[in-house]
Formats: sequence, C-alpha cells, structure tokens
Amino acid sequence: MAHAVEPEYTTTGLNHRKLLMWVFLGSDCLFFGALIATYMVYRGQSLTGPYPIDIINVPVTTISTFVLLMSSFAMVQALAATHADNKRAIVGWLVATAVLGSIFIGFQIVEFNTFKNEGLTLGGNLFGATFFTLTGFHGAHVTLGIIWLVAMAIVANKGRVGPNSALDIELLGLYWHFVDIVWIVIFTLLYLIAGFDAGPAAVPGG
Amino acid sequence: MAAITGVISRPTSYAGVWSWITTVDHKRIAVLYGATALVFLMIAGVEAGVIRMQLSSADNDLIGAGRFNQMFTMHATVMIFMVIMPLSVSFFNFVIPLAIGARDVAFPRLNALSYWIFLFGAILMHMAFLVDQVPDAGWFSYANLTEKPFSVNRGLDYWSISLLVLGSSSVAGALNFVVTIINMRAPGMSMMRMPVFVWMTLITSLLLVLAFPVITVGLIELTMDRNFGTHFFIPAEGGDPILWQHLFWVFGHPEVYILILPAMGIVSEVLPTFSGKPLFGYPFIVFSGIVIGIMGWAVWSHHMFTVGLGPVANSVFTITTMLIGVPTGIKIFNWIGTMWKGAVEFTSPMLFALGFVSLFIIGGLSGVSHAVSPSDFQQQDTYYIVAHLHYVLFGGSIFGAFAGIYYWYPKLTGRMLSETLGKLNFWLMFIGMNLTFFPMHFLGLNGMPRRIYTYSAEFGWENMNQLASLGYIVLFLSFVVFFVNIWQTRNARRVSHDPWDAPGLEWSIASPPPAYNFAEIPQVEGLDQYWIDKQKARDAGTPLTEPEALVDPDSIHMPSPSYWPIFVAVGVALIGGGLLSHYAISFVGGAITMMGVIGWGNEPATAPSDHH
Amino acid sequence: MGPPPLWRKGSLPMQSTSNSNRPSGRRSILKNRTVLFGLIAALFLFATGCSKEGMSTWEAFGPVAQKQLDLFNVLLWVMVATFFLVEGVLLYAVIRYRKRPGQPRPPQIHGNTTLEVVLTIIPTILVLALGIWSVFALFEIDKPPDDGPEPMHVNVTAHQWWFEFEYPDAGNGKRIITANDLKIPVDRPITLSLFSDDVIHSFWVPKLAGKLDMVPTHENKMWFQADSDKIDDDLPVTLFGQCAELCGLAHALMRFRVTVMEQTDFDSWAAAYGPPPTNTNKAKQGAQIFAANCTLCHTIDGPDDPALSASRLTGFLTGGDITPVPAPNLTDLRTRNTLAAGIVDLNETTLRQWLHNPEDVKPGNYMSERAVLYQNGSADLTDEEIDALIGYLLDLR
Repeated sequence: MAHAVEPEYTTTGLNHRKLLMWVFLGSDCLFFGALIATYMVYRGQSLTGPYPIDIINVPVTTISTFVLLMSSFAMVQALAATHADNKRAIVGWLVATAVLGSIFIGFQIVEFNTFKNEGLTLGGNLFGATFFTLTGFHGAHVTLGIIWLVAMAIVANKGRVGPNSALDIELLGLYWHFVDIVWIVIFTLLYLIAGFDAGPAAVPGG
Repeated sequence: MAAITGVISRPTSYAGVWSWITTVDHKRIAVLYGATALVFLMIAGVEAGVIRMQLSSADNDLIGAGRFNQMFTMHATVMIFMVIMPLSVSFFNFVIPLAIGARDVAFPRLNALSYWIFLFGAILMHMAFLVDQVPDAGWFSYANLTEKPFSVNRGLDYWSISLLVLGSSSVAGALNFVVTIINMRAPGMSMMRMPVFVWMTLITSLLLVLAFPVITVGLIELTMDRNFGTHFFIPAEGGDPILWQHLFWVFGHPEVYILILPAMGIVSEVLPTFSGKPLFGYPFIVFSGIVIGIMGWAVWSHHMFTVGLGPVANSVFTITTMLIGVPTGIKIFNWIGTMWKGAVEFTSPMLFALGFVSLFIIGGLSGVSHAVSPSDFQQQDTYYIVAHLHYVLFGGSIFGAFAGIYYWYPKLTGRMLSETLGKLNFWLMFIGMNLTFFPMHFLGLNGMPRRIYTYSAEFGWENMNQLASLGYIVLFLSFVVFFVNIWQTRNARRVSHDPWDAPGLEWSIASPPPAYNFAEIPQVEGLDQYWIDKQKARDAGTPLTEPEALVDPDSIHMPSPSYWPIFVAVGVALIGGGLLSHYAISFVGGAITMMGVIGWGNEPATAPSDHH
Repeated sequence: MGPPPLWRKGSLPMQSTSNSNRPSGRRSILKNRTVLFGLIAALFLFATGCSKEGMSTWEAFGPVAQKQLDLFNVLLWVMVATFFLVEGVLLYAVIRYRKRPGQPRPPQIHGNTTLEVVLTIIPTILVLALGIWSVFALFEIDKPPDDGPEPMHVNVTAHQWWFEFEYPDAGNGKRIITANDLKIPVDRPITLSLFSDDVIHSFWVPKLAGKLDMVPTHENKMWFQADSDKIDDDLPVTLFGQCAELCGLAHALMRFRVTVMEQTDFDSWAAAYGPPPTNTNKAKQGAQIFAANCTLCHTIDGPDDPALSASRLTGFLTGGDITPVPAPNLTDLRTRNTLAAGIVDLNETTLRQWLHNPEDVKPGNYMSERAVLYQNGSADLTDEEIDALIGYLLDLR
C-alpha cells in the first residue's frame, strides 16, 4: 500500500483515488438522503407509540455527538502528523480517532438497548423502523471506519505511513468526516427537531 | 495477509482460463460482460417467447397465471439489469480507454470486481428457478403486493437481494468510469474534445452512482418488511405503499436514461463515420445529454400519474416531462443533420444506427403522449405503454448496442462480421420489431391492460396479439442470424486496423489492440483526432497506412492480473446468498470479503516482477 | 490479447470505394420498396386497428373520457405529423445523400447555431403549449361541474379479485352494497371514492374515464358521468371495466361492468334491493344451504355491517386456510349481468359451473382456497342442492 511511486499524470491533477472517494461520498449522500427522506415522510405517522418525545434523550446524545466531533478533530491531527512524519503521533491520533469512534458506537449500543427496553422496536411502529434503520446504517458506516482506522494504525506502527503516503490517511479522513457530517444532519433532524414529536396529533402537518 | 499472498503467488499468465479469471484488462472484461449479457439475452428472449405464445390467442391455457407473472417479471428484470446494462458496460469497458487515449481504466481491479459481482448476482437471481420461487410481482414490484401475506414464497427476496448485489456491481463500475473519464484523458483532450460516446458514458455513470443508492434503500426497506417485521410499505402500522413507488421511480427514471444514453452515444459515433462528416452540432448534443441527465431527476412521478397524487403534482410532472422531450428532439435533429449533405454508406452498423433513430422517434413520440397526464389516465398500465417502452428499449438500446457490436467488432477481433448476414440480421430485427410492437399501440388504446395472462375474445384483441406473436418469430430468427454471424467470424478474413475510415482514436491502433493500447499516448488537438491525423498525413503526401509502430510490450507498465477481484466477489455473493438461505453463509461471505479487501489493499497494482 | 496480427498494407481505404474492405451502399432501392410496404402496412393497421369494442378508449360515453379523448386526438395528429415530418426528412437524407461511387469527402460541416436555436425553441413552444393545455384539462376534469345535476356518490373498495360497490345513499337514504356490477343512472355525475382492502388495484372503465389506482390506506377520488347523447343504443347499456394494476394471481380475471340506466329504472332497482325471496320450497332449501355454507364470507340480507366487513378483512390478512375473507355481497346477485368479477355473463349455466368448482372458472380465487365447501376440490353438494341454491340466488321460478 505504501511504496513510493512518482505521482501519475492525471487530467485534473487530482489523484485518482481521491476523486473516487469524492464521487463515492456523493453516492453515499443519496443513500443517506433516501433513508432520511423515509424518516421524514413517516414523521408523525406512527399509529402507536412510543413516540420520539418518550424515547429521545437529547442531553445524552449530545455527549455522544460531541465525542464523534472530537474524533474528527483527532483525525485532522492524524493527517497533520502524517505530513510531519511523526510516527508516534500518527499512530496515537489514529488510535484516538478509533477509540472516540468506538465510544460513540458504545453510546449508540447502550442507547438502542434502552430504547428497546422502553418499547421501541423495528416492527413496533414506523418511528422504530425508520429510526433504527437510519441510525443503524450510520453506525455500520462508523464501524467500517473504525476497522479501517485500526488497520491503518497497525500499518503506521510498522513505519509504513509517511508524507509520501499521506493520501491514504487523507482518504480515510474524507470518509470519516463524511460519516461525522451525516451524523450532524441526523442529530439535528431526529433529535433536536423531531425529537420532541409527541404522536400524530402534535406534529406540524402530521 | 502476506501469508496468503506468499502461499498463492500472483497470477502472471495471459493465456488460458485462469488468465480470464484473473484479468484486469479492460478489453477482456468487455468481452466477459458482452458474452454474459448475450447469454442472458437468450434467456430473457425465451421468457418473452413464452409470454407471446400464451397471448397469441384468447383464453389460452399454455401456461397459468402464476407462471405468466413470473415470465414477465423475469423477462423485464433480466433484460434491464442483465442484458442492456451489461451490454452498455461492455462498450464502456472496451471503448472508453481507447477513445480517450488511455492504457486502461483508473482502477483495473475494481473493474474486474464489478464484472464478477455482476456475474454472481445474475446467477443468484436465477437460482430462484432452481427452488421454484421465482419473483412474480413485475419488474417494479409494487408494494404491498410484494409483502407478506400476498407474496409468501422467497421469490421477492431473491429479487431484492440479487438486485442489491447487482447494484453494487453497477455502482463500482460507474465510479471507475467517472474517474477514468475525468482524470485519464490524453493530453489536449478537453471535455469538449471528448467523443460523444465518452460524454454519454460519463453522464450515465454519474446517474448510476446517484440513482442506485435510492433503490438500494427501497430494496433494504422491502427486505426488512418481509423478513424483519418492519412496516415501511405495509398499511397495518401506518406504512404507505406509495413510498415504495416514489423510491423506486426516483431511481427508475434516471435508470431509463442510464439505459438509453449509451446507445445514443454509440449512434453518435457510428453516424459520422458512415456519413463521412463530423457529428452535426456537437456542443448541442453534449449539452442536451447533460440536460437530460439533470432533468431526468425531475420527472419520476409521470410513472405515478394514476396513483392519486392530485392535479397539482400531476401538472408539475406533466410540464417537466413534456420539457424533457426537447433535448431528445435536439439529438435527433443533429443526427439527421450529420447525414445531411454527407456520403451515407449503408453498412451493417449504419443500418442499426438508422434503425435506432427511426424507431426511437416512434418511441419518443408515444412518450410525449404519455406525458400528457389526462391522456395517460387511459394509457397507463395498458399495452400502449408496453409498445412505448419496447420502442425505446429495443428499438433504442438494443439497436444501438447492435450498431456498436457491428462497428467495434473488427477493432476487438481484427475480423469483420459478415455484411450479408448483418443486413439480414438488421432487416429481420427491424421488421420483427415493428410487427411485434406496433400493434401494441392499438391494443393499448383498445383497452388491453398489461400483465394479464389471458383475455376474452369479445374485446377484439386477438388479431393484434397474433400479429405481435408472429413478430416474435421474426425477431427470434433475427437473433439466430446474429449468433450465426458471430460464429462464422472465427474463420473470416482479417481486416485492417481502420476498416471504416473512422474518426476515433481507437481506430489508430492495431486490431485487436495490444495489451497496452497505445505505444505512445496521443496528443489531442481537436474533435475527431484521428480524422485530423489522417487528413494531415494526406495533405503532407504521406497517407497513413499502418497504425503506429508497435513497441516492446515489456517496456510499458500495465496493471498485473490479480485474483483478489473474484475472491472479493465470491465473498459478496455469499453475503447475498446467505441472506437467502442460512445467515452463517453471510458471515463467511463477510469474512471472505474482508480478507479480500485487505489482501487487495496490500497488493500493488503492478507486480514488482512486471516493473522494469 | 497476443501478438499483433498481420494486416495488408494499403488496405486503409482512402477516397475510393473500390477497396474490398469497404462494403458498398447499394441498398436504396430496397429501402424504398420496404419503406413503401411499411407505410402501407401501417396505414392498414391504422384503418383496422382502432376498434370500438367493450374496453376501447376510442369511444367516449361521458365528459371525462371525452375530454381525455379530445386531448389524445390532438396529440395523435401532432405525433403523426411529427412522425411523417421527421422520418420523412430522415428518409430523404439517407436516400438523397447516399454515397455515390467515387464521391469525394463531403464538406465537413460542424453545425449551425441558428438552426439549433430555432429547432430548440419551436419544440419547446409546442410542448409547453400542449402541456399547459393539458394542465387546464386536468383541473377541468378533476371535479364534476358545479352547475350540473346533483352527483351520486359510490364508495368502491377493491379486494383480491373483485370490486365492492357501496352506495351510501342510493335514493331516499337507502344504503346499498353490491359487487362487480355498478349500476348508474344516466346523465348524472357519479363521484367515486376508491379504496383497497389488500393490495394496489386500479379502477378503469375506458368509455367513461381514465383509471385511478386503489391504494390501501388512501382514498382516491374521481368522477364520471354517462351521457345519453353519447350512447347510441337504448338503455340499459353495459360498459366494461377491468382492474389495471397487477394485484396477484387472478389480476387478469378481475373485471367489472357498469350498467347505465334511466334514473327511474335505477330508482326501481334501488327500491327493490333486498335479499332474494324465500316463498317457494326450493328457495327455502337454497336459503338453508346458503346459510350453512356461505355466510361466513358472503352477506345476502342487505348491505354488509361495517364491523363484519372489518372482521373478515382481519381474518383474511392474518391468514389461515379456513377463515372468512371479504367476499362479494350477494343480496342483489339476481339483478346483475356478470359473475366472478366480470369475467362471464351471469346465467344458470355459468352459476352452476361456478358453484360446482370455482377454480374452473377463475383459477386462483379465494373461495376455492378458503371455503370449507371446496376443501375437496369441487363443492360438497349434490346437483339437487346446487339447483336449489341457484334457484334461491337467482330467484328462478
């Protein structure tokens, strides 16, 4: 993965893999867009509870959101360390990103369990179906990212990551930041806005 | 993973079956896609034959309703996802690097992966026949017919999971071509100097990467409804079946442009070659393609005019749909303009291209009548729609593909398809197509709904149905002629590298092209660069008679063969297959995929032994 | 792909067409003949292709269908004219500009911006004009005119695979539920609310109006009217309808009829709506057989009770072999002209075939699948019992 090659000629000057990642992220936007659209279409349409206001815990999720934001910060630091060719810092910041991401996932797992115990299930009502599907796929994206981070940290630990291979870290960073931004959108819509929905009658336009 | 790469060494050969399995050469991958697509063309064609035989007379009992529903579902699903799309990708694979002066696509192993996932996904879909649980809810599978208790067997699960697998193949391939076209053009080839086929491929690929995620979500939600207790489309807990339609058609409408734009691109290459003059109105053709790609996102509900969205929504989509006819018309006018004052030669590729234009005019016109929603209320779900869709997909996409096959065959193989058989192929197909599908306009307007396995004689539909079934026989013969034509080329004489005196860069190199395509990456000065080169040489008094001199292939770095693509594809297929049988298989598939991705990541694109 | 092949030097064609690699283009005559044949065939098709049989859209018996047909007729001429114009130019181009032997390279024209702009603007104006006109038409046919006669309302519910018609007020406040044969008075707007109990179906009577889907959880509204001045024959007249959205196995066999009659005849029918009389022994016997075998799913004593309908629907959706299913109300079966959802005329013979074994008449139907009476295939009834049942249902004397 990290042998030095001279940069190949590209028409735009952008590396192929970076362009690929951007287009892929564009595609992934539509994926999350369709899941979010499903959630919004079914907002206030659940025939039975529990409803968001019974379940959503904004303070707790604010903490996990902050953790995920901090992981993006760690990711930025990892890239900076790569440019600075500081192996310990590279490994450290990659591990930090992975750890913070894992804490976020940990929060999600605990959260989902709590919701389940409070009666929110996939099949119970539309809120359960749309909520768990959307956040579940987001969590899957985060998990894949964590695996990638760990793999990268191992490679870095062997000394095979440096300024010549900064692109690899940058690609990982693009993906990680994307996943973070998607979470910001989800958090804003599902928690800050729709989190206070109290059943069919109370939703504007519902 | 070093252990695995150590135990099984990287493939090195370029001959034999193993070389095809590990190939990352875009030209070979094109052959793989094309051959596979033609096999599925035969399968879907047989399904069409069963349909036509059943409908050839009133109150027929050749097959029952259940089998009939399976036939039209599979016929459409296979034709769209396993014939037209892979045929298009086959052309993308073969032509794009050659047309832009590149040595391969941006990600050769990803390219191979796309093919293997496609093959396994198509096989997975057809395993439904083995367990006799074949999808039978139509190719757009409207909820909630697709939900339990209305579709109890696993047919719809085979459909959904296989489409998810096929979709990932399409997206992977499309990502590759977007990067290739944007980033690997020969020096001097600005966007407005790209051949139209390259433009159409770019737009199609962008549509693919943006549209497939939407149906992916729909399929996931359907699968969850059927297997995990959710109610996305089930009325019982407040779900709305119409949501499926929106998700499907937001994908589905860009999908039909995905199906037609490549064929339009091919025709835009063939017509100038056999008119002896450049494409008329190049910027307008390019621009209209872009406009179609963008506006295609704004028309989806014209598939839902009769769903009850209300007059306001229907009005909006009526207007947008009417407007999208304009860029298509521009293309047609420009194609005619290309031949105007030209020197038209009726070679086989040209005949198919002309067939495309003439048949697409009919399909486009009937499409305009669908756009007018009040009239569509009578036309929707009748054979009038079946007529329209076959004129644009068969008369359009298939004729375009055949034009491409006849056109680029000599470049791929160094041999020409027989002109005599080619003309026979064309006329049988043209006549057969019109015989089969033109009567369907009347059938629809005479009130025959679609997807009915039988009908009563009292409605006067029998004669037109018989005509259509007769047309099928003519079509069947045309495909026999085609396959005979392919078969007989194995002994046909060789032709030169540029038998058509064509304008594209691909014609400047040997037929078949060497593995590295271009000995020297060409410098591009304008559109139709090869015509420019040839004209310059003629003006200088030294006409070009040979392609550029060949060089020692070892002096050019090419990506090396790899087994990781098929390895990962097996993993992905097992994930899908496991969801249809035992979840344990999916876990194994996941592990294989993961191992494959890591091994792939550790493998350099070009083996050190291939470096010099 | 192996070592490069040999090629013949000088085989690249230049200006001449005598090179053997280049196929020549001498097909124009054949194209002409074929084109002529094609045109004749197309004209023949046009002449014979448009029929006015039962499901045809070419004949409109009411204002909604008429407006849709008017729009389509204009579109048709626009399409035909455009077809001849564009295909004509195409044909002319390939014939007039076909390559002649020895022809030099033609002028390398790249385009004509003025032409492009004109050919963009004209179609845009045309499509916008048609589009805007159709939007006006869309709103015009959306609701019945305010100044017409008082509409009569019908609730239509689709089931796999038959149509249920409920008249909340068929006259004098009388509620009627019937199936598969929609009786309507002539010259009066009929507003319809479309529902579905199971999957998506579509309600389509081509001679009265375009179709509208019947979607579970939705109420879709439409209207139509049968005009006496558009109908040539004497009333009552039967119009044909069919489900137009794939809805399962028997989709092809889910049809219905609309009987258009004078308001007075309609009122008579509505007033007489009630269970078949049981004033003969045979009828009494038939009524008993019916009560013993059919009432789990069929109502015959008037309109269905909503709670009963709901419970049958729940049974159907939750499954099981022998459970109630929503089944056609048979109260006025004797006044209908069709059986098994519009697929056969109703008479003694067809009813006997149906009762004996519904699967023979309508493969896939739920009666054969769910009714205890048919658990062994054909009905567990003697011929005499079936006779009695028929006599009762059809009020035969």
